Amino acid sequence: MTELEAKIRTEAARLLSEGLVDVVVAFRKEDAPLRPQPAFFTNVEDLENLVYNGLCANNLANYLTRFPQETRIGMLVRGCENRSVNALVVEKQHSREKLTLIGIPCTGIIDWRKVVALTGEDILAYEDSAHTLTVRARHQTFALPRQELLHSSCLRCVHPNPLSADILLGEMLPEGDPALIRERVESFEALTRAERTAYFKQEAERCIRCYACREACPMCYCEECFVDHNTPRWTESGTTPAGTHAWHIIRAFHQTGRCTSCGACERACPMDIQMTYLTDKLGKDMWDSYQFAAGMDDQTQPPFASFTLDDKKHFQVGGKQS
Amino acid sequence: MPTNPSPRNPYQPTPMRVLRAYYESTDRSLKTLELSFENHADSQAFFKKFNPGQFCQLSVFGKGESPLGVASAAWEGDFVRFTIQRMGSVTKALHDLKPGDPLGMRGPLGNGFPLADWKGKNLVIIGGGCAFSTLYALTKHVQHPQNRPDFGQLVVIYGARSSGLCMYKHDIQSWYQRDDMEVHQAIDVPEETWDHHVGYVPDVVKQIAPSPDNAVAIVCGPPIMTKFTLPALVSLGFPPETIFTSLEKRMKCGIGKCGRCNIGSKYICKDGPVFSLAELNALPADI
Amino acid sequence: MKYILPKHELNALLERWSAEYAVLAPQKAGAYSEFLPFTAPSELCLEEPHNTRYPPKALFFPQSEAILKYKQNLGQLESIEAVPQKRVIFGIRPCDAKAVTLLDTVFAEGDNQDPFWLARRAETLLIGLGCNEPGATCFCTSTESGPFHTDGLDALLTDLGGEYLIELLSERAVGLFGGLTPANPTQQESVQNLQQAAEQALPKAFELDGLKDKLDRVFDQDVWAQLSESCLGCGICTFLCPTCFCFDLVDEAQRDTRVRNWDTCMFRVYSLEASAHNPRPTRKERTRQRLMHKYSYWWEHAGKLGCTGCGRCVRYCPVGLDIRAMLRKASAYESEALHAN
Repeated sequence: MTELEAKIRTEAARLLSEGLVDVVVAFRKEDAPLRPQPAFFTNVEDLENLVYNGLCANNLANYLTRFPQETRIGMLVRGCENRSVNALVVEKQHSREKLTLIGIPCTGIIDWRKVVALTGEDILAYEDSAHTLTVRARHQTFALPRQELLHSSCLRCVHPNPLSADILLGEMLPEGDPALIRERVESFEALTRAERTAYFKQEAERCIRCYACREACPMCYCEECFVDHNTPRWTESGTTPAGTHAWHIIRAFHQTGRCTSCGACERACPMDIQMTYLTDKLGKDMWDSYQFAAGMDDQTQPPFASFTLDDKKHFQVGGKQS
Repeated sequence: MPTNPSPRNPYQPTPMRVLRAYYESTDRSLKTLELSFENHADSQAFFKKFNPGQFCQLSVFGKGESPLGVASAAWEGDFVRFTIQRMGSVTKALHDLKPGDPLGMRGPLGNGFPLADWKGKNLVIIGGGCAFSTLYALTKHVQHPQNRPDFGQLVVIYGARSSGLCMYKHDIQSWYQRDDMEVHQAIDVPEETWDHHVGYVPDVVKQIAPSPDNAVAIVCGPPIMTKFTLPALVSLGFPPETIFTSLEKRMKCGIGKCGRCNIGSKYICKDGPVFSLAELNALPADI
Repeated sequence: MKYILPKHELNALLERWSAEYAVLAPQKAGAYSEFLPFTAPSELCLEEPHNTRYPPKALFFPQSEAILKYKQNLGQLESIEAVPQKRVIFGIRPCDAKAVTLLDTVFAEGDNQDPFWLARRAETLLIGLGCNEPGATCFCTSTESGPFHTDGLDALLTDLGGEYLIELLSERAVGLFGGLTPANPTQQESVQNLQQAAEQALPKAFELDGLKDKLDRVFDQDVWAQLSESCLGCGICTFLCPTCFCFDLVDEAQRDTRVRNWDTCMFRVYSLEASAHNPRPTRKERTRQRLMHKYSYWWEHAGKLGCTGCGRCVRYCPVGLDIRAMLRKASAYESEALHAN
């Protein structure tokens, strides 16, 4: 058990035993190698199974909407999770007073696929430390530099610190460089239309319509997704180009001003499909047009969810330009 | 290793045409379609297999398929009747069809009622709402002079929420004149001109208390009606082997392949939709 | 009879087959491998300790497939003929080949056989490659399969380092591999040792004996809620599964086509009825259906277990759910419950 794990368990135990929360949402020991599981802890004895390390890959804010509004939830949050929680509170998916956020400054999520690519499939055990992931495979042990294993979204992360945690565990980290995410979007924007189309098709057409990206995303909480609606039907249901293109375009657009760039969609995708280049592009547009970034607080409505008489109307002939 | 590479495409519907279309209910939520076959050979193939209690997949091309119980008996003529409750996109499209319009049909599908096992038995037919349609087919089948001697007494109990929702009105009215059967109709709440039973079907069944002696009971209705009628019959002394019901599940292929209607060891479309209560009791509670 | 194929002769063999057959083999596709038409030996992925990410069932039962063409207003129907194609699927793993035979029980037996499945199946040869070192997520030895299991295969290859040992399992395979050198006793023995070692290296993931009865008995129990609490409800486990076969039929009106798409019991809308009633309203019932179908109902439908232990559902579950652990917990739950009573 690491020092940080011990601290998390202590806090979780206190919240549960003092009756301050009904459930603590965190991670528990994996069954399959490299894959700690999200877990709901409701009693102190279970906390011995709580783990926390760089392989805890899911955005736990995703589980916020599983609970009734009155449930008092303790939740482990890293930078992105805290922003997702904020965005959900803005959208009235849970009231902030019912939440106790246990914040952890995040050194980045390790992409298990990168570990497997570097070592082969047969990982039997691992140990995560500040700069190195030590992995025991069947034939040899690897000491891998952590930085090379981080998920691509984490490599571009701007806000690794939880912004509004109730309890903070660990040392605050320096902010990330906002240029990284912007440069990636700009390099995509710089492509010709044909090149952009080709890239989009190459990614979207691998889609198997499993909707893991949707189910892993905290912001995709619609009771009925547009793809499941049948009167009218909005898209083809299968894995035809018409179907996969529509899914990836509309999914991204529904995230405008809501996506916190956590990368949970890409980490869940079984086909390694890139999706954040679309949502990050929309995020950049929201910033450039409205100076808005999702989840920075739990009060401000996303621009597309609010209306004022002064709104820009540059899409309208004779509309206000600035 | 499978060796026969070219069986008939089981997903290919038979071409049909709307012969007659008429509303059954005053609120226009229930509509009956009578369909004729485009090809004589399809008609022959259909009636060779058909048995009351079976269902078909009706296709409106461009909208999809919907599973519907057959509401006619073979002797009524060279057509197939369905009564359709307007629910989703396909049933809406079916309601919009006019006489002469083409559509597709796959079937008959499923097992149907085990008529051979019921020979010599008294039949207690209990239906509620639009699910009565397959029981209408059963009653029509039994009423035919050639089939009538195969069965003992015939009791029909049919409930609807209101008189406006009662189906097959004229025909059922004529059943009161028959001396070979007993008819009971019920609606949920009293209406001024209604002179039959008032109350929910399970209560009406208890009140009429049909005898379980040498009898089988067949129950088709909305889930809530079925849920309370089955125990009512058990308490009247019907053993579970003599109580039958028809399950309605979301079905797609209708031939036991698509997996959707799986409950435990059964596929409702292929092994059902008609099951005895004894069979249902052996299934996992996944209904 | 067992034969030897030096690895440097494999390319020539695949090219020879390509003259008569469409040859499909695991090849690199980004960071993973996929069954694709054989192009060049450099693209082959035969050394990987695991199978393709996307299951080869798709080669017989594509994820989206047109099954009917119609003219919307005229009611005219046009049947789509299933055209047999001569194919060799090379390098399929034993778990995936066995899965094809399990799907035969759905699509190729009894009434209403599926012409699309049958057409693809009839003229396709399956040439398997055994697994010298099954991966950490594999559990074929717990599911009546194994790293060198031969069900469904026309021939099985075992990797001996510099060469493959080939076991011919069907008449058709004899024609495919002509003029090979028979394996000598030393080679045969080293294959035996290798195969045994591979099987023994895989620990038993759970006890299959009595598992069905245990699962049947805990059908109503709370354990399913515990097992599914972190489940996302996505379709990965079922879509990547080589034995899952559920499908949907959908009219794509703008193309005048009825399409068959893979579907999954893990989706809420799968069991949602038009009346808004849903017999499996939460992830608990849906997870239970997935496990019960494979580990209980398959026995009753086909007399066989519906899982071959390929491990894809374990490897790619986005929340790390492991069917092996789920089955262990479900059966242990029963012991606890019985003990408590």
